[in-house]
Amino acid sequence: MVSSNGKWDWEISNKTSFWSHGVKELWLYRHLLQGMVRRHFLLYYHQTVLGPLWVLLQPILTLVTYMVVFNKLVGISTGGLPPVVFYASGIILWNFFSDSFTGTSSTFRENAEVFAKVYFPRIIMPVSVLSTHFLRFLIQLVMFLLVIVYYSVFQGLTLPFGVWMLAFPFAILFIGAMGLGLGLLFSVVTAKYRDMTNLVALGIRLLLFVTPVIYPLVAIPEKTRWIVQLNPLTPLFELFRLSLLGEGSLTPFQLLYSVLFTVLVLVGAVLFFNKQGDKLIDVI
Amino acid sequence: MPDVVIEVENLFKMYRLGTISTGSFRRDLQRWWTTYVLKKQDPYFQLDGEFNPAAQHQSILALQDINFQVRHGDVMGIIGSNGSGKSTLLKIISRIVRPTSGTVKGRGKISSLLEVGTGFHKELTGRENIYISGYILGMSKDEIRKKFDEIVAFSNVEKFIDTPVKRYSSGMYVRLAFAVAAHLEPDILIVDEVLAVGDADFQKKCLGKMREVSQHSGRTILFVSHSMQAVKTLCDKALWLNQGKLKAIGDVNSVVNKYLATTQQAKLKQHWHTPAEAPGNEWVRMKAVELVPHQEVFEEYLDIRTPLTVKFQFWNMQDDVLLSVGLHLFTSNGECIFNVPSPPAHCDKGIVEGECMIPGNFLNDGSYYISMVIVRDTSVELFNFNECLSFELEDYRENLQWYGKWWGAVRPKLPFRLKQAELILQ
Repeated sequence: MVSSNGKWDWEISNKTSFWSHGVKELWLYRHLLQGMVRRHFLLYYHQTVLGPLWVLLQPILTLVTYMVVFNKLVGISTGGLPPVVFYASGIILWNFFSDSFTGTSSTFRENAEVFAKVYFPRIIMPVSVLSTHFLRFLIQLVMFLLVIVYYSVFQGLTLPFGVWMLAFPFAILFIGAMGLGLGLLFSVVTAKYRDMTNLVALGIRLLLFVTPVIYPLVAIPEKTRWIVQLNPLTPLFELFRLSLLGEGSLTPFQLLYSVLFTVLVLVGAVLFFNKQGDKLIDVI
Repeated sequence: MPDVVIEVENLFKMYRLGTISTGSFRRDLQRWWTTYVLKKQDPYFQLDGEFNPAAQHQSILALQDINFQVRHGDVMGIIGSNGSGKSTLLKIISRIVRPTSGTVKGRGKISSLLEVGTGFHKELTGRENIYISGYILGMSKDEIRKKFDEIVAFSNVEKFIDTPVKRYSSGMYVRLAFAVAAHLEPDILIVDEVLAVGDADFQKKCLGKMREVSQHSGRTILFVSHSMQAVKTLCDKALWLNQGKLKAIGDVNSVVNKYLATTQQAKLKQHWHTPAEAPGNEWVRMKAVELVPHQEVFEEYLDIRTPLTVKFQFWNMQDDVLLSVGLHLFTSNGECIFNVPSPPAHCDKGIVEGECMIPGNFLNDGSYYISMVIVRDTSVELFNFNECLSFELEDYRENLQWYGKWWGAVRPKLPFRLKQAELILQ
């Protein structure tokens, strides 16, 4: 044994740590993150006629459907807001959440081959998925803001200018964090148990109905309102509408509940993901 | 920089056989409930259940107590038969799987090439794939940008660089994928069998690149291959794994020779004490058949240079007959390479013996077997002894930069002349 003293740069053992990557290591792989986001965008619109236009077309078509079904046919109230503005805000937020969640929850299944051949911090993959959906959301947000401007200029929609207006980025931030957190958690679970994939797909569809996307919280009868309020996404959606459109019901307690829930889920999920990630390679 | 760059200590890796969990959440939950909460027998691993009871405890040690060091600048070949744990070892060193116990410590940036084209996506163009694949392998944007032209030139796909790789031929795809990997510049490079791809010309290029990398940059390389010839040329040290255990480590020639000596499955000798137990019939009975290699000058195993002598003896139970013997040499897939008759000889009752020499530098590398036929009066077959001997010849090449399989059943050294005949004067 010659000169085995001195410091080692790295060590591999059977211990998996919760904080498996230093910030330094993640920084080294920043280009991979960039590259993956680019790749997601390229692949989404590869061999499509309309290409990147789909970022906007998809929510617009959903909006039209909602207008016809929920507003005209079923007649669900949208509170004091014009239906277009109300639905648009719900749709882009919900798409951001649900795409981030379903996208990250398949991390291990979709990258099994690459994970089995090369090492890099695994968390790069789900974060790249989240970043892609965040960029798409930003484009949709710009469109949404233009719609608001149009409504306030031509349709007499009064906007609540004030300090509250600065709150909407927090709503977006926490919705993204919740999508990533739950996605990471389920990426491990679905890698171990294939049947959970069905549960995830079903769960996200049901969750839509207890989130104020197609109706405002106040439109729910007081008796059953707690079901919707139990959903930690609800205060975030209400916060978003309250800050940008001036309509939404929210108490500080509800907001705190939602924030705490999100932070706990995200931190717990990142730890769980790091801890389980290395072991999963033997399973998938 | 300290001398030792990788230190492997007491490394074990255990894989459980059979299913690790029951594979569904409902059943895992039910199993957890009955075993941990109700303290009953596992419903999925019962004696008469759907799973074999032994399967639960059955495990396989893919690696057992591996200890070794790699020094800076070493080019180490890892050899061993299939399933000996080579890939598991590489996967642990490249941080893809965790060991069951033991540690690997190291210094410097490590890159592993366990596959060609990791991270390639068939819908993306060559250019996009170069970047993505480079990032996944741990290169930075600047590094790739700097080497981009070199990578493209190396792979010969300049014209198609902006075409999706799904429209590439498989050769182009592999060339591009290897080109990215070949331009990595880690401190430690781990390579697994990438040489098995591509045409001869490209293989030559790959090996040339690997040699350049190992010799001129003083980089540390771990290299797994089944081609002993490639290992011998490229590596200066070798590590031999046998069923998960470290069998030998050290100088490449001695380790490879030891390895080949044990893997050659040869039937070099058969003999019988009495005619009764020997194969044969009422006319002739075999006594002995043997393949004697003249290898004192060479190695511990047979290679294509080794001259071989076939020696045989048989009991002849007839008086005054004209006997001759034919030797047939077959390749392992049954093609006959030659059928050599002996000169006929007058024999009486007793033991007849003979020998035939197969020169060195005549057969190609591969597995062979020999059959022998004893003939009376040069026309009547008395006894045909099928597959009485079998042997393997290893490859040997000098001054050649190509390691693909050599064509042909034989590889004789024929008198061959080549010279400049005329000069074109300008």
